[in-house]
Amino acid sequence: MMRRQDVGWWLLILPAFLLMTAFYVAPIAQVLAISFTEPTPGLGNYERLFTSESVQRVIVTTLRICVITTSLSLLLGYVLSYRIALASPSAQRWWILAVLVPLWISVLVRAFAWVTLLRRQGLVNETLIGTGLISEPLALVWNEFGIVVGMVHYMVPYAVLPMLASMREIDPRLLAAARGLGANRLTIFGRIFLPLSLPGLLAAGVLVFIFTLGFYITPALLGGGKTLMVAEWIGLQILDLLRWGLGTMMATVLVVAILVTLAIFSRLVDMKRVFGGGGA
Amino acid sequence: MSAAGHALALRGLSKRYGSFTAVADVSLDVGQGEFLTLLGPSGSGKTTILMCIAGFVEPSEGAILLDGRDITALPPERRDFGMVFQGYALFPHMTVAENVAFPLRVRKLGAAEREAKVRAALDLVQLSAFGERLPRQLSGGQQQRVALARALVFEPALLLLDEPLSALDKKLRAELQDELKALHRRIGRTFVNVTHDQEEALSLSDRVAILNHGRLIQQGAPAELYERPVTRFVADFLGKSNFLAGTVQEALEGGFAIGAGATRILQAATSTPPIGTPVLLSLRPEKMALLAEGETAENAVAGTIAGWSYLGAGYALNVATPDFGTLRVTLPTWNAPIAPREGLEVRLGWSSAASVPVLDDVSPDDAA
Amino acid sequence: MMSFQPGLFARGSAWVVAMYLLLPISIIIPVSMTDQRFLSLPKEALSLQHYATVLNSPEWLGSIWQSFLIAVVATGIAVLAGTLCAIGCWRLSRRSTNLIRALMLLPIIIPSIVYAIGLYRYFAGLDLLDRFMGVAIAHGVTGIPYVVITVSTALAAFDPRLEQAARGMGASLMQTLRWVILPRITPGILSGGIFAFIHSWDELVIVLFIASRDVFTLPRRIWDGINENLDPAMAAVAVLLVVFTTALLLLDLALRRRRAE
Repeated sequence: MMRRQDVGWWLLILPAFLLMTAFYVAPIAQVLAISFTEPTPGLGNYERLFTSESVQRVIVTTLRICVITTSLSLLLGYVLSYRIALASPSAQRWWILAVLVPLWISVLVRAFAWVTLLRRQGLVNETLIGTGLISEPLALVWNEFGIVVGMVHYMVPYAVLPMLASMREIDPRLLAAARGLGANRLTIFGRIFLPLSLPGLLAAGVLVFIFTLGFYITPALLGGGKTLMVAEWIGLQILDLLRWGLGTMMATVLVVAILVTLAIFSRLVDMKRVFGGGGA
Repeated sequence: MSAAGHALALRGLSKRYGSFTAVADVSLDVGQGEFLTLLGPSGSGKTTILMCIAGFVEPSEGAILLDGRDITALPPERRDFGMVFQGYALFPHMTVAENVAFPLRVRKLGAAEREAKVRAALDLVQLSAFGERLPRQLSGGQQQRVALARALVFEPALLLLDEPLSALDKKLRAELQDELKALHRRIGRTFVNVTHDQEEALSLSDRVAILNHGRLIQQGAPAELYERPVTRFVADFLGKSNFLAGTVQEALEGGFAIGAGATRILQAATSTPPIGTPVLLSLRPEKMALLAEGETAENAVAGTIAGWSYLGAGYALNVATPDFGTLRVTLPTWNAPIAPREGLEVRLGWSSAASVPVLDDVSPDDAA
Repeated sequence: MMSFQPGLFARGSAWVVAMYLLLPISIIIPVSMTDQRFLSLPKEALSLQHYATVLNSPEWLGSIWQSFLIAVVATGIAVLAGTLCAIGCWRLSRRSTNLIRALMLLPIIIPSIVYAIGLYRYFAGLDLLDRFMGVAIAHGVTGIPYVVITVSTALAAFDPRLEQAARGMGASLMQTLRWVILPRITPGILSGGIFAFIHSWDELVIVLFIASRDVFTLPRRIWDGINENLDPAMAAVAVLLVVFTTALLLLDLALRRRRAE
């Protein structure tokens, strides 16, 4: 039921709604449609999920890197959030800046920095050779190791934000009280802090996982074309091999995987925690 | 400002939210220049009625008439009502003068005329010196007066007040009550006020409409409501009251007699309900007296003081009686016939005109 | 008052993580000032030659200018549509508007690669491939979520009675917007605008698919640079980008502080 008085307010929503429908939802719907119609109508493309070894290899690689990246990002992010949450307000401001600056710096700049550091003639290898620790340069980039280093670096700030938000809701008096009751640091952490920060940890996990699943730039630059993740594989199918059916099929699978992950976790986590009431 | 008040009428107004009825079939007339208060506990529908009048809430049924013209379908901005919101809703980013000028700016008045009217409105509420301040730099009472000035500056047909004094402390509230009343006299506009504070309603209004569970229970001048409540709810909500239950025994000239246990009570009335019907009488605590030895009254009941408290101006006694439970009695302190103490046996007396038969409309969930 | 402090181990590891976040980014500063002709730390002296190369290169300058223009137009689209939408959803606030708000968040949830290949095909039909307007629209639409989020946050702190008060005093919807709502949420809108701008300025995946020659944005040029010739000029560009982004963030921080007062 739409009240006459509300017409004006609905009109305010209209431009965004039309733009979104015409220039966002429509192209994506087209992707979904193509996966069922090209090269021939039917579920042919989806059969490849079960028959094609290369398709399966990409999925397995992607999931492996996602799990590793998510776990490491959560671990490092948790350490950082824990430190920030318990810091004094003035110190907090600096710590948060240290998280926000990398968050907003171009992913290209960050990938470039890692290439500079990790390539064969990069600063890390040169330093190690210079100090005599190794004689041959290590393969630190253009492989799975490089991808994980770069991705974790990209994701840690995203992991910190929801975790920090939930840690800040923990009443510091609880921790002081536990201490007053004779609990040691480890007990306080394990029995009080960790359980109370769990919602944030879960939200961060969901966020990092779905961001990692579809990530393109970092794996493409640091993987060197040898280790393919889903996003780069899709790009390859479309741009180089012109296999639209296969590419859009994988894109559809990717979207479905993300939405299913969100749907499952929206029962466990308040999605506001994931996407935040506020901008970063 | 001119003294052109307007008349407002509600006809069968109802508002339902799903299966919940917030307002049920309320009809009400507000005369030109009248000060009407909608009084009721929270959830009684009083605010919903005000929001319907203002146009923020669309009624499910019924009509709202201004000087006989149906305005039910008009959006709020075309109703030409001034409104003082709960918490005042002053624009925090505008100065006091800009706040007051807002309704004029909206109506595209020229700068000179605007300034003159703003000055007049601020004079009216004695805030001329505060025009350049921001709302947050004012006290609660001053903010309330800015809200009044802003609601009146465009000479609206009607002034709506939503709990205008509830945010203030008790002493300030009494002061502003007087000011509000004087303002109403001076400008002669029609005011519709909403409150849950019975004292405020009684002291401010020409007429009070009492609401409960979305229904209009009784309306009338404050004294009429206090003296002649028609239901138990009204008697209980306005001031304090004792309730005596009994059955009609006999019709008498100018009234009837009721019995409760061994006690017989006389009640003045113009008509008598059939013999044997249960009745409920409302009896105000200040309308009873303590009878001295040998003194008689139309009605007399013996009892024991079960508890008492000293209230400064008076004593409040709880007197346990065999047939009516505990009755609350107030006595002026300065000439109290006794020094109250627990266990003292007393006799209470009152005239047959002191009590009023009321309808028992209080359901168990209202008892609290 | 008794307060609880993390142990030495927790503090130490937090510093290590912070270093991991910041050091790789800072390393590009000395690298950009190298006196060598290849990507390395400065050997004998600091040199600004690579900055000079970038700032004298019509290709780099052209891309910077083009990225800037696209970001300006995209930000305009995102701010206008996003702000109005957030206000409408806030005021109506019901199940259907919650769905609309969720719809507006899709561009953050769905990977850009999926959108990029969709647009590649979709824009071909509309003749928007490799067009300035095509990229600006794509960046504008995907920038809407940032504006919707920040403006919704600003509106959450806005007393809805102020809007009622304005309407009750006779203000039309446009007057209420202009005089009451917008002045109160300007900081939120600016924040959203800054994020939408950074989003467009940094965006690469969509550009890789829907632009090729005529539209060659800065991220696109950096991408080619990293893939083809890793020369120190890239480091200079990277530093310039970091400085620019940090400046925008500090601006946002200043705006937030002013809003908090």
